Amino acid sequence: MKLVHEARHAHLQHVTRRHFLRTCGVGMGAMAFGALGGGASLASAREADPLAARPPHFAPRAKRVIFLHMAGGPSSLELFDYKPALAQLDGQQCPDSLLEGKRFAFIRGVPKMLGPQATFRQHGESGAWVSNHFPHFSRVVDRVAFLKAMHTDEFNHAPAQLLVHSGSPRLGRPSMGSWVTYGLGTENENLPAFVVLLSGGVAPDAGASVYGSGFLPTIYQGVQCRSKGDPVLFLSDPDGLPRDLRRRSIEAINAINEEQHRDVGDPEILTRIAQYEMAFRMQTSVPEAMDIAREPPYIHAMYGTEPGQTSFANNCLLARRLVERGVRFVQLFHWGWDSHGAGESEALNGGFLHRCLETDRAVAALLRDLGQRGLMDDTLVIWGGEFGRTPMLENRSGSDNPFVGRDHHSDAYTMWMAGGGIRSGTTHGETDEIGYQGISGRTHVHDLQATILYLLGFDHEQLTYPFQGRDFRLTDVHGHVVHEVIA
Amino acid sequence: MKKSAIALLAGLLVFLLLLITVGGRASDADLFLGRLHPALVHLPIGILLVAALLEVWNWRAGGFDRAVLALLYCGAWSAFLAAAAGLYLAKGGGYDPATFSWHKRLGVLVALGATGAYMLKLQAVAGLRPSTLLQKRGYLYSLAGLVLVIGLTGHLGAELTHGSGYLTRYMPDGIRTLVGLPKKEDLGRLQLANPAETPVYAALVEPILERRCVSCHGDRAARGGLRLDSPEALFEGGDAGPAVVAGRSEESELIYRIWLPLASSEHMPPEGRPQLTVAEAEILRWWIDGGASPDETLPDADITPVVQSILDGYGLDEIRTGIFALDVSMPSEADVAALTELGVSAVPLAENEPFLQVRCTDLAACSGDAFREALRRLPDNIAWLDLGRTDVGDEVLPAVGSLRHLTRLHLQQTGVTDAGLEHLSNLEYLEYLNLYGTGVTDSGLTHLEGLSSLRSLYLWQSQATEAGAEALNAALPDVEINLGLELAPDTTQTEE
Repeated sequence: MKLVHEARHAHLQHVTRRHFLRTCGVGMGAMAFGALGGGASLASAREADPLAARPPHFAPRAKRVIFLHMAGGPSSLELFDYKPALAQLDGQQCPDSLLEGKRFAFIRGVPKMLGPQATFRQHGESGAWVSNHFPHFSRVVDRVAFLKAMHTDEFNHAPAQLLVHSGSPRLGRPSMGSWVTYGLGTENENLPAFVVLLSGGVAPDAGASVYGSGFLPTIYQGVQCRSKGDPVLFLSDPDGLPRDLRRRSIEAINAINEEQHRDVGDPEILTRIAQYEMAFRMQTSVPEAMDIAREPPYIHAMYGTEPGQTSFANNCLLARRLVERGVRFVQLFHWGWDSHGAGESEALNGGFLHRCLETDRAVAALLRDLGQRGLMDDTLVIWGGEFGRTPMLENRSGSDNPFVGRDHHSDAYTMWMAGGGIRSGTTHGETDEIGYQGISGRTHVHDLQATILYLLGFDHEQLTYPFQGRDFRLTDVHGHVVHEVIA
Repeated sequence: MKKSAIALLAGLLVFLLLLITVGGRASDADLFLGRLHPALVHLPIGILLVAALLEVWNWRAGGFDRAVLALLYCGAWSAFLAAAAGLYLAKGGGYDPATFSWHKRLGVLVALGATGAYMLKLQAVAGLRPSTLLQKRGYLYSLAGLVLVIGLTGHLGAELTHGSGYLTRYMPDGIRTLVGLPKKEDLGRLQLANPAETPVYAALVEPILERRCVSCHGDRAARGGLRLDSPEALFEGGDAGPAVVAGRSEESELIYRIWLPLASSEHMPPEGRPQLTVAEAEILRWWIDGGASPDETLPDADITPVVQSILDGYGLDEIRTGIFALDVSMPSEADVAALTELGVSAVPLAENEPFLQVRCTDLAACSGDAFREALRRLPDNIAWLDLGRTDVGDEVLPAVGSLRHLTRLHLQQTGVTDAGLEHLSNLEYLEYLNLYGTGVTDSGLTHLEGLSSLRSLYLWQSQATEAGAEALNAALPDVEINLGLELAPDTTQTEE
């Protein structure tokens, strides 16, 4: 009963005269406002069960998202954006006209141009160009739509990643997965609605904020799951605690929390209750969902997975298992695409090739596997980094260096989308002869976000949350839906 | 007094002369004089109305005869001036001919009426001869008639300047129904009998041209050699070349003219005429950029977000096809609750949509009678049903088959067999059917041959074969059948 005493004590401390007056004022205002808005029913339904499934603005094309974030900024010039003219310029000094008014993360002075470090061929009926580094992916190109003239505002990893995932290069905004789960809730309350899977050994530069909930209630933040060991940390019961005792203690805690919520009305308390409940349910459902050892051998052969490892391939297979079970948003991060050329691990003729090898088979397998299970019709798959790479050689040290690499580049890079509502086999956007600037179909990160929300049934301008006196949205005041890639 | 009467009659004569002779091409001087019309018209309106009011007063109290007489005199003169200016203004052209012709006739009538009323009043006031009863009555009736005609003329004038419906646009619905007008919310709504089959040109483009352009560029007048009353005429164009270049709005004279500054002499419609709204101009541009096809229908057209929002404003919410074109009422809360209480997720497809997406993740929730009963209570509303990876079998399919508006059905990895599929044969809207990992064989597929809307069928790890898929494709060529033949381990060489 110590807990109850403690709660009562905290409660007595909480309800001061000041608090009473504030509750009166805010309460009356809130009531009046709620009556004005007429949206009380939806808001209160969300409050009663923050993760309950909810309808979007219009009939959706996709119900779920798998976002494959290639952290570090993969070079489109070695993967999708075939620039024969750049090969001819290889080793020549970069003309001043390209450098005027530009800033780069590392390039200083006048760099040399660097030709494509790959051979390209057209693939599939769509004739999309893919390099030799993606032999498996090149066989599924007809299932995706390329956005070849993506551009962003940021040329450093952390702000650029934040921009991709939260719509702002600064900390504090909710991530895309949070917005989506806030908007749609979940159809499977036994699993988290928004799951994050990391591989590549390095967490995202911007930290957990790239899958944080910002000012949205924390129930909407991404839950990081591990493919090795306990899938979710601190989820298992301590040794010697039977499950029914766990159940009863959670019930007691929730009863106290509910009482607290009745008194103070803080939505964070509801989040806490929901999280206790979910954690309890997840104790059985998560290990089942995350156990890829249950997959048959031919699936492992297809993805190139090895149970018990932490790998991008394992995460792809997990992503499929999770969307199959109704998880709304699966966010993968695979670090290691930051190919500056300063050392073996981050060179286009080094680590970059390993990243290709690690991801190629798994990505192709994911698209195929979703396809044969009929999940592709309502699952949206997005592949891309936070920015692209320069057509110039970086050569930071300036000395003879067996490794080649490119600097960060925010003006032009390639992403692709596949699945629910996407016009597969299309290419939108085009870059100039050396892949330095988009010349048509330029798509900003905010446009991509608007398009993702559109496919999920949202008008990106209407999916808002009031915070600090104004309504916020994922695309802030930007974003145009790229209808060209929508079927 | 007499002198003034003679002067007035002389004025009338000059005015009538003008009425017959004014015509032809408008010079700048004509238009300058003409543009005094909107200012001048207020003089006869004001003066004659005051005259009539004063006469009412005079009837009861007397003493204002001379004042009324003076007002009528001024009123008549100002009516001449205003009407004459109007004649010059009309030389500029571009007014709706029917409205204009009535406005002109009534305007002349005001001038004549005011002169007549003055003469009668003069006779009474000057007392040349005692007025007969007939004259007295005639005077009063002509005065009353004058007020009525002034009102009508003014109204028509306003319609010419501001476009028709100017007065009634914001009229309260109560009065609107009283005078036989449609309710405000229906105003500007496109009344399309069958929106899905109406060409964009007929539904959207033609009415705009009709409203804004055809009075000068139509069968009555073809100014600049240009007619805008048919698609062929648009391409043919006029003296300045084709009005429309299909697919290239930036090269189309029509768009160029509309977007010129209002002050430019080439701007169309000319200054002073009702202008196109931004929405109308945008619709024209969109139609031209989309190929300016005379018969492309709305569902075929690539509707951009901007155009969509304009169409919403026209009351054409969106082009709805399939189940969304049906008139289905919202599900009752109790019926939806019957599902959710079982632990089944049942949510509308979208806000304000009567259709539901139902998904069962709790494997036990959808295997009982209660679930089947709950399904049967929503035969019109369930559009997406996901029973995949549950332990349902054929017993659930009669209830599923009763969901007549079903478009997506997930039955993968369930106990469904050939026998159950028979119940699905009437689902005319079904587009997606997932039967992977079930015991379905080729013979079961024959039950699906009537599903004319079907586009995707998943049969991986079922007993169905390529032969069965081919047979079904023969009956339904549009179905993409996925047999999941990619399960063989990939043999692509990896390279570094």
